[in-house]
Amino acid sequence: MIDAFQFLWPAFLVAVCLVGIHAYFGIMVLARKVVFVDLALAQIAALGATVAFMLGHPAQSIATYGYSLTFTLLAAVLLAFTRTWGTRVPQEALIGVIYVVAAATAILLIDRAPQGAEHLKQILTGNILTSGLNDVAVIVPVYATVGLLHWLLRRWLTGAGSLIWEFVFYATFGIVVTSSVAIAGVLLVFSFLIIPATIGVMFATSQPGQLAIGWIVGTFVSAAGLVASFFLDLPTGATMVCAFGASLAFAGMLYPFLRGNRGQAVYTAIITARWIGAVILAGSALQLAAAPRADQPIIDMVEYAIPSLRTLYFTRAETTTFADASEHAERYRREAEQLNEVERRNRTQGQALDDFSIARISSFLKSYGEMRKGEQFVMGEVRVRARERVRWGASLGLLAFALLIAPVSWRLLWVRAPH
Amino acid sequence: MVLRSVLLAALLALAWPALAKDRLEVVTTTTDLRSLTEAVGGSRVTVVSLVPPNMDAEEYQPKPQDVVRLKQARLLVRVGLDYDLWLDRLLMQADRPEIGRGGPNYVDASFAVAVLELRGMSVGPGDGHAHGSGNPHYWLDPRNAETITANILEALARIDPANAATYESNRDAFLGRLNAKLTEWETKLAALKSVPMVAYHNSWPYFARRFRLDIVGFIETKPGVPPSPAHLSRIVRDMRTLGARVVVREPHEPERDVGFVASKAGAKVVTLAASVGALPQTDDYISLFDVDVEALTSAVIGQ
Repeated sequence: MIDAFQFLWPAFLVAVCLVGIHAYFGIMVLARKVVFVDLALAQIAALGATVAFMLGHPAQSIATYGYSLTFTLLAAVLLAFTRTWGTRVPQEALIGVIYVVAAATAILLIDRAPQGAEHLKQILTGNILTSGLNDVAVIVPVYATVGLLHWLLRRWLTGAGSLIWEFVFYATFGIVVTSSVAIAGVLLVFSFLIIPATIGVMFATSQPGQLAIGWIVGTFVSAAGLVASFFLDLPTGATMVCAFGASLAFAGMLYPFLRGNRGQAVYTAIITARWIGAVILAGSALQLAAAPRADQPIIDMVEYAIPSLRTLYFTRAETTTFADASEHAERYRREAEQLNEVERRNRTQGQALDDFSIARISSFLKSYGEMRKGEQFVMGEVRVRARERVRWGASLGLLAFALLIAPVSWRLLWVRAPH
Repeated sequence: MVLRSVLLAALLALAWPALAKDRLEVVTTTTDLRSLTEAVGGSRVTVVSLVPPNMDAEEYQPKPQDVVRLKQARLLVRVGLDYDLWLDRLLMQADRPEIGRGGPNYVDASFAVAVLELRGMSVGPGDGHAHGSGNPHYWLDPRNAETITANILEALARIDPANAATYESNRDAFLGRLNAKLTEWETKLAALKSVPMVAYHNSWPYFARRFRLDIVGFIETKPGVPPSPAHLSRIVRDMRTLGARVVVREPHEPERDVGFVASKAGAKVVTLAASVGALPQTDDYISLFDVDVEALTSAVIGQ
């Protein structure tokens, strides 16, 4: 627990800073309908860094940062103009073009540089987990300055302005995105930008209200994502993005309850849930009847969660064979792991194994692998045959269950039928 | 004047293929195999490596020129063990069955190498390799060069029997130099015996086995997936309890994650080359080990 806290709190601090500025920019970006502008700016900044790298500047030098900044400012000019061009063509189309061309140019450039691909990858896939207080020390002054500037210029920066104000908006946004993408990566920065702002816009009409909701949601979901990634042993950035996605889905489901006729919302929710359940059950019934040897996602999932369900349709002989094969497969896996472990320990301890013994170990490992595969085949075959045997009864049962769940009033049909 | 130089250039262009023809054109997937093929072939061969130095050969994206290179090759030498899987699609495009899998001019250099960390078809837990063929970084054991060069020698002698004796004596001379060096490296690295270390990617089991080094963990559990916080905290805890003071990284691996782990555990980052040309002065197979051995010993003893 202390371990987790020690590891996660710098990342959490960084996340709070990022949510602080990005929720605000997200609201602005949503109002301007330029959702993907952050990707374009990040890619342009990466292109600038790549050019600097090609000219021989080290990765984290002032010169590299200068190139990134110059490229970003140039892109800001371009983006400010797209607003005026964007009368017939949607602005997003032009933003998309800027993004792909910047990305492709960077690929062409790094193709000529040794070690280039890794360099570009590192710019665009920051890892929030390995960020720390030194990052906070850099971003807090930058974000505070940008935030203050936007507050002072709020009369001109909110809504559509003239070219110069559009330029100021995109330039400051570019500076923010350039630093945040290097810390947290493209995917996570996009989530920070769009999801808290979207939830804010859903539930509040005034900008301060939207911002407050965005900040609260962003902070809470970041914390939840970080904790989940620790305890579920998952990569942090991807877990946080999924946590943000889940929060948006949850907010979407909550919306009709808070913003509409509550009774109607509950009714619709129940009907929808029943329809979904019925369709899924009927689908698996048909799948089981038509193709019993194919994957059965629903049945497999239920069996995975409650393995004892197998006894419902396995004969005694099948149960024994299945358990036996599973036990053997596990034994072969363990034996193989033990051999690997012996070899690994032997690298530093005791008398070194000669190549002949190593070759013997690896041929044993190969055999264990094959044997394990054989047992797994047996397990699969036993299960498939059992399913083939019971498929008609089981799929009829599932179908009946689906009809029971489906929100159709059967009694009505029944009563009307004689007329 | 202009006309003359144009003529000269045209003549040279015409003569070039003929000049190149009397050398055997060999294509290898990695720079390590290029170096070893050159050691056997000597002046009788010209060798190109498809993967340039300092790129991750496991994630290499072939270019159109690579197909052209394969079309011209007399011999193809690959790492195998699922390390250079992208080559199979390239071979299909090149449409040259003689250098394809099972063809007479095709060398899988891993043939007869004693493979480590075989896990059958299952994906082992947290060892950073998603393939069932065993760990493919076998050239990092200098002893394995004997097997690899034997595979290359056999193919070269078959294609070009007239020069078989030259190839054989080239190989013997190379192995002589390598074995002398091997004793030198073993003496130097004896000081590091059972000094616990952590590596970013699981590239070093063969190296560790030969020089009796203790690599206790890896930062990257699966290629291309950032490590989870639980995994990183386990690594840092293990490093503290075992007293691991070195984190090994290859030049193409992310500095930030390695630096993070090293600073948390109070360890030093050592950048090692896993392939010829990945670091300056690693121009051939022997200097590759010279540089790595030097970097490791100075990092550990310098503390």
